[in-house]
Amino acid sequence: MTDMIAIEVVYALPDKQTLLRQQVAVGTTVLDAIQASGILNKYPEIDIATSKLGIFGKLIKPDTVLREKDRIEIYRPLIADPKEVRRKRAEEGKVMKKGGGDA
Amino acid sequence: MITALLVMIGISLALGAVLGFSAIKFKVEGNPLVEKIDAVLPQTQCGQCGYPGCKPYAEAIAKGEADINKCPPGGEEGIRKLADLLGVDYKPFGEGAAPKAKAVAFIDEQTCIGCTLCLQACPVDAIAGAAKQMHTIIASECTGCELCVEPCPVDCISMKLIPEDISNWKWPYPVYALTPVRNEARKVEAS
Repeated sequence: MTDMIAIEVVYALPDKQTLLRQQVAVGTTVLDAIQASGILNKYPEIDIATSKLGIFGKLIKPDTVLREKDRIEIYRPLIADPKEVRRKRAEEGKVMKKGGGDA
Repeated sequence: MITALLVMIGISLALGAVLGFSAIKFKVEGNPLVEKIDAVLPQTQCGQCGYPGCKPYAEAIAKGEADINKCPPGGEEGIRKLADLLGVDYKPFGEGAAPKAKAVAFIDEQTCIGCTLCLQACPVDAIAGAAKQMHTIIASECTGCELCVEPCPVDCISMKLIPEDISNWKWPYPVYALTPVRNEARKVEAS
């Protein structure tokens, strides 16, 4: 079948991550694929209307058309407030690393 | 006389054509030894060998620049396979290169600020997350390479040991005690 593409749908909790592999037709959107994957039945707490979605770490809109080997990720909001964390670290005298770098 | 010459020329032309055709048709891409070494390596792309990934390490081994005992994720079994493949002696892990217990990265959700730096560092896409969204390690994909620990600006990634249980227990690799063959025994065999 040439008009099917392989994709994955991921919903990750700290202690349990679900990664579903499936075949969808070419032209399927992210939202359709999530509904077809059945991950919403598995995790009723996912509110697909408000959840942010992405493909491999890039935020995307639910009507994005999928490509071969895409991994759809359903995100959860942050718990910590980034500003608060940074301020606290500054108070404790810890330096913020930029990360990446030449190393 | 003429017939014999023509036959010989005909044969050489035919064989030449076959050789030329097969050179194009069955062209070997790259160095096959590198491919074989790469197949033995665990593909964690962790860089613990000092090379940017498994393929560069394989190339270095093939060229003879690197030792075969620099891959902790591959374990002793990996060194043995490489030694077999290359026909060299088994070499134990060097100082500080011994494999650690199997662990996966774990993100402390209370401090993660969604900066995506760990995502960029992960060589195997084992972290689900995007800018300003919670990042989560997909444990089944994580190779335990620790490359994500360093870039985190808030130090929220720690390595968690994988406890051995029924689902991931496996038979230990057999350990054979190798005793050197004594010379008399060899002589008896040879005679």
